[in-house]
Amino acid sequence: MEKKNRRLTLWNIASFWILCFFVLFVLYPLLLVLYKSVMDPVSGAVTAEYFIRFFTKRFYWETMLHSMEVTAFSTLLAALLGMPMAYLMRSVRIRGSGMLNILIVISYLSPPFIGAYAWIQLLGRSGVITSFLNELFQTAFDGVYGFAGIVLVFALQSFPLIYIFVSGALKNFDNSLNEAAESLGCSRFHRMWRILVPLILPTLLASSMLVFMRVFADFGTPMLIGEGFKTMPVLVYTAFMGEVGGDDGFAAAVCVIMITLTILMFFAQRYLANRNTYTMSPLKPILPERARGLRNFLAHGIVYLVTGLAILPQAVVLYTSFLASNGGQVFTGGYALQSYAATLFAKDNHVIWNTYYLGIVAIAIVLVLGVLVAYLSVRKKNIVNNALDTLTMFPFLIPGSVLGISFLFAFNSPPIVLSGTALILMIAFAIRRMPYTVRSSVTALGQISPSIEEAAISLGASDFTTFRKVTLPVMMPGVLAGAIMSWVTIISELSSSIILYTTNNQTLTVSIYTEVVRGNYGNASAYATILTLTSILSLLLFFRLTGRRDISN
Amino acid sequence: MSVSIDIDHVVKRYGQNTVVKGLSAKIRAGEFFTLLGPSGCGKTTLLRMIIGFHSVEEGEIRVNGKRINDVPTDQRNMGMVFQNYAIFPHMSVKDNVAFGLRMRKMSEAKIQTEVDHILKVVKIDHLKERMPAELSGGQQQRVALARAIVIQPEVLLMDEPLSNLDAKLRVEMRNAIKNIQRQIHITTVYVTHDQEEALAVSDRLAVMNNGVIQQIGTPQQIYKRPSNVFVAGFIGLSNFVQAKLTRAGDRFALIFPSGWHLPISTIRKDAQDEDVVVSVRPEEFVIAPAGEDGIPAVIVSSVFLGLATHYFLKTAQGQELEVIQYEGEGNHLSDGTKIALRMKADRINVFHAQSQESMIEGDGDGEKE
Repeated sequence: MEKKNRRLTLWNIASFWILCFFVLFVLYPLLLVLYKSVMDPVSGAVTAEYFIRFFTKRFYWETMLHSMEVTAFSTLLAALLGMPMAYLMRSVRIRGSGMLNILIVISYLSPPFIGAYAWIQLLGRSGVITSFLNELFQTAFDGVYGFAGIVLVFALQSFPLIYIFVSGALKNFDNSLNEAAESLGCSRFHRMWRILVPLILPTLLASSMLVFMRVFADFGTPMLIGEGFKTMPVLVYTAFMGEVGGDDGFAAAVCVIMITLTILMFFAQRYLANRNTYTMSPLKPILPERARGLRNFLAHGIVYLVTGLAILPQAVVLYTSFLASNGGQVFTGGYALQSYAATLFAKDNHVIWNTYYLGIVAIAIVLVLGVLVAYLSVRKKNIVNNALDTLTMFPFLIPGSVLGISFLFAFNSPPIVLSGTALILMIAFAIRRMPYTVRSSVTALGQISPSIEEAAISLGASDFTTFRKVTLPVMMPGVLAGAIMSWVTIISELSSSIILYTTNNQTLTVSIYTEVVRGNYGNASAYATILTLTSILSLLLFFRLTGRRDISN
Repeated sequence: MSVSIDIDHVVKRYGQNTVVKGLSAKIRAGEFFTLLGPSGCGKTTLLRMIIGFHSVEEGEIRVNGKRINDVPTDQRNMGMVFQNYAIFPHMSVKDNVAFGLRMRKMSEAKIQTEVDHILKVVKIDHLKERMPAELSGGQQQRVALARAIVIQPEVLLMDEPLSNLDAKLRVEMRNAIKNIQRQIHITTVYVTHDQEEALAVSDRLAVMNNGVIQQIGTPQQIYKRPSNVFVAGFIGLSNFVQAKLTRAGDRFALIFPSGWHLPISTIRKDAQDEDVVVSVRPEEFVIAPAGEDGIPAVIVSSVFLGLATHYFLKTAQGQELEVIQYEGEGNHLSDGTKIALRMKADRINVFHAQSQESMIEGDGDGEKE
């Protein structure tokens, strides 16, 4: 074994180059962020000035509190919505549950800030519902902005993630445990609290962590609906892109603080989840049963209401995209296709092409590197490959805007100039999605017994041929399924692309965002509809390829 | 203290599919009763109807004469051991076992003593503080058993509890289960597809097929006098040979295709001349030298197992048969040896060729459905 590793095999060459790639595109930019956060650019001396500025001015440190508040509340609410939804859908027979399931997933696939601007149209200052309520009750309700607005958008947009995970856990839940408890005299209510909830807890924590990361790092939503209520990603963006000339050092310091917080959260979750992980042998899954009377009525009511609220922004966007307008910010009444004409068929509009092109190249990079890293870290364990495994997980903890800024720090000036190119966006997307594909490939590999590889080798196949002809084909279905989901998240990526894009390689999400900021909701909605359509088609492709009806494992 | 269970014409349907077709059985107080049958025969469904996980579509289940069809499971006071044990993975051994007692609002002090006592009974008191993931299959099995019996249920139900264990442990655990059941004297219904296991543990068993009980009886009755061809084929090893039954006055004889004539005295008195299927266990054959009275056959191969030798024979008619000869019953016969095959007339079973039902007298020992 030892001897093998010293030889210059194809695998060793592969690990070397992949390691170089990650050192260049993950480690180097991050170290640069760290460096800039403590370095005075003029004198070249080490300084704590930026951190001091952050923690002494209320305007700055308040953003941290805001971020924590928003994240905590949104995650909690998402869990409180997602868990019962998953339980109801798994245990009670709900009419149209297949369709509801798809709607919930779709509502999750769209970027959160689309929810923000849709809710502004409904509950904003001049929103449809706001006006209606104000007229009805003669009040002067000013719409949901700030904390309430952000939490509303995030909770409704994120609960599907918890729903998907918990639903997956419930699918693997062994119902004999419930039956055993029942036979021992345990009532339905007690079974839920003493058996189901404790066993679902690790999954709940893991999915809450994902929601936490997503909400904490999201830039678009607080930017649009937050108004005076600023969060850290907004601060980073304005500090870096500030009209009075960006303040690199301060932005870097805020980045460092953000990364520190996510790392702390990550380890807290790890610690909690590791203490309570159980493996179950699901002999009898929970089957949805027909409920009667009030129970049935309540179950249907809750499920339909929550799904309706979740999908409402998409409906608003779809509706708005067909409204006639004066070509700008004012809707003139009636319906027209002009928003599509202005976006889809406008001259020199490469937005859709850009999105697909950048996304597909990024996914290709993710697939090749992700599968290789997984293979190396599982089957060819050594120090280099362990380091590789850890390094690829880093981006999971790095908010998108931080990654974007770190890339500009690193690749804006020689020796490597990439800023403004399509390549920098592709690499940023690839790096950001890498952890998910590595994890799903590791899982797929874990289900392949090494003995089938040994069999191939014993029959005369070389190491590399075995990988190509045996291992890869077997693990591919699982990996591809994961890749489709990564693709969907790549095309809805905003927080890094808003920092890295130029007008030549503008994507759909960036276009939606800029149109919203300009107040052109018609065009924004047309773009958003195209994006949603792409997500739906990808989702259908996913279901088709995997033969599954849900997207959890 | 022990209760009896009356299963009275119960029916279970899933849509158009009837999986339990009007079953009746009386399970006596304190007995170890086994439901045995191939997979899909409805035995687990029946068990789950007894505990209440499945509704009863028609018919009644009575415990000590009281109808329980509509009593919810958590109020039935029946303990169950599941195929995969269903140990709560987030609770220690102690807490798993105490779970049912806590549900019964027993005082913690009392729970402690009860748990300690039962863990001694199932011999895992040294594992009290362990988590389920740290236990072996056999130990988990004992936890599941302790958890089910500590609540002093009226009935203990077990659904293929040994199927996840390896062969050696399976034998060890089935003896343990049997001993513990004797000790606490609790009415037990046990489901298995393993006939050896069923014969080993049961006071009585019901052989099921296609949602119908084929025969109920003690292991001895079922092995020695199966009531139909299915039971004869399912329990133990049987060779089936076509023959004709002839009656001359009160005397019966079997005439085999080779022309061999075997007088038999165990046939029901009302039987007439019939086509029959004779079922012969390998140990119910007698090997005689070629040319003597019997079915002419030739030895194709043999397996020597120490205690006995298994011979695989072929008759002149081309039928293949398996015969056991115990050590000391005769010399070893090499492949190709011609022999004459006789049967122990008092032990073989005779079935009506058409109805497949037994024609042996006194087959009423086991109650039939």
